[in-house]
Amino acid sequence: MIISIIKYGMGNVASVKKALDKLGFPSVITDNPDEIRQSDFILLPGVGSFAVGMENLHLSGLVELLTDEVCQRKKPFLGICLGMQLLADYGHEPHKIKGLGWIRGEVVKMQLPDHLRIPHLGWNNVQVVGLDNHFFSEFSGKDYYFIHSYHLKAKDSEDVVLTADYGIPIVAAVRKNNIFATQFHPEKSQNAGLALLNKVIKLNAQM
Amino acid sequence: MLKCRVIPILTFNGFALIKTKQFATNARMVGNAVQAARVFNARNVDELVFLDVYASDQNRKINLNVVRSIINECYMPVGIGGGISSIEDIHNLLAIGADKVILKNVMIKNPNFLNKAANIFGNQCITLSIDAHKVDGEYYLYNRLGKTILLRDFIQHISKYNFGEIILNSVNHDGMMEGFDLDLIKMFEKNIKVPIVVVGGAGNPEHFKQLFSETSVEAAGAASIFYFTQYTPQDIKISSSNSGKPMRIVNQSYPQVN
Repeated sequence: MIISIIKYGMGNVASVKKALDKLGFPSVITDNPDEIRQSDFILLPGVGSFAVGMENLHLSGLVELLTDEVCQRKKPFLGICLGMQLLADYGHEPHKIKGLGWIRGEVVKMQLPDHLRIPHLGWNNVQVVGLDNHFFSEFSGKDYYFIHSYHLKAKDSEDVVLTADYGIPIVAAVRKNNIFATQFHPEKSQNAGLALLNKVIKLNAQM
Repeated sequence: MLKCRVIPILTFNGFALIKTKQFATNARMVGNAVQAARVFNARNVDELVFLDVYASDQNRKINLNVVRSIINECYMPVGIGGGISSIEDIHNLLAIGADKVILKNVMIKNPNFLNKAANIFGNQCITLSIDAHKVDGEYYLYNRLGKTILLRDFIQHISKYNFGEIILNSVNHDGMMEGFDLDLIKMFEKNIKVPIVVVGGAGNPEHFKQLFSETSVEAAGAASIFYFTQYTPQDIKISSSNSGKPMRIVNQSYPQVN
């Protein structure tokens, strides 16, 4: 099995690779279409702005390729942070821009009570939502590392599997068929993060 | 609920870890950076900061091999600072796994650089290092660029720019281990909308409890306490947690993933 970590100039690929190495999953950091097609699992990391992220995906010709692999061919997929936000229909950072549209919803600036600082930065505990999300129950109450100023407003509540509370409810993770994505950084969340990565990859990939 | 963070600060002189008192030049050598990073990772600290404090003065770039070795030990977020002055410098650090870059001299000399960097990399990874120096009852922005800058003017000025976090250090309290400068924090906490990491003066867990209780700050950095006392980051967090503050207490029995 091999995981392709998508390289599109949006940070933190080294940290993701390091976490996968630690877990013993072979991976490659790539923007090569053949390598991505041949891989068994696609991981889209990313930090930075929504607009630049989409622009870079378009420039490297990856939007159609990823959509085909993930939505048509149902290849297992994990998005992290910006890699989750880009799945939405639209983003607003810094202006309204079309996203990948795999998860219905929009990514908007967090409107927080006055006393809360922005970005939402640090460790926050997540809660499982939804009735049949037993898969994630072991992660309920665990702390994960968040760092973001925009958040996903999901249209279909059944896509949301984990939430966090920062004065307002924050979508912490979504899942839809073969697509899984987290707003927080599992690769930066020590053992709780590695355990989550391990479980998601093992579930979705044919070992 | 968001937890308060406790962050060890590693200060480096280009060769070894050092610890200053009030930023004086007779710093004490306190160990090896990579070993320290390994220990703090094993202790599940919330975050780690590594600063090459003389890089700018000595007109050299931070040693990327040292930084890479440190980051390789860490499965938590790491902020890196020292001599960062170009987009290329930031790119090089993020590419090897840094989560945040910590800027100081470039913020004073050319604040427009902050917006430029934030547009490219996102403001979440741009952290400002603000060293407050109290002289005759007035706070100044400490710098070694020969500039006299009133801190309240500077904070008002800099808040127009795009960045994600501020590390607020007290020169007077640095290394003294007698508590944080709460007056300084109370003066500026309302004017700063991004998260603030308060540094300078921690000597025992009570100091953190006091900081988290009396101010709106949710993050504190420290160094001396970890070198010169028996307290670990976890001791500090348990102490603040017992007084009702939200802290991330890592259950040591959580299964190790191999």
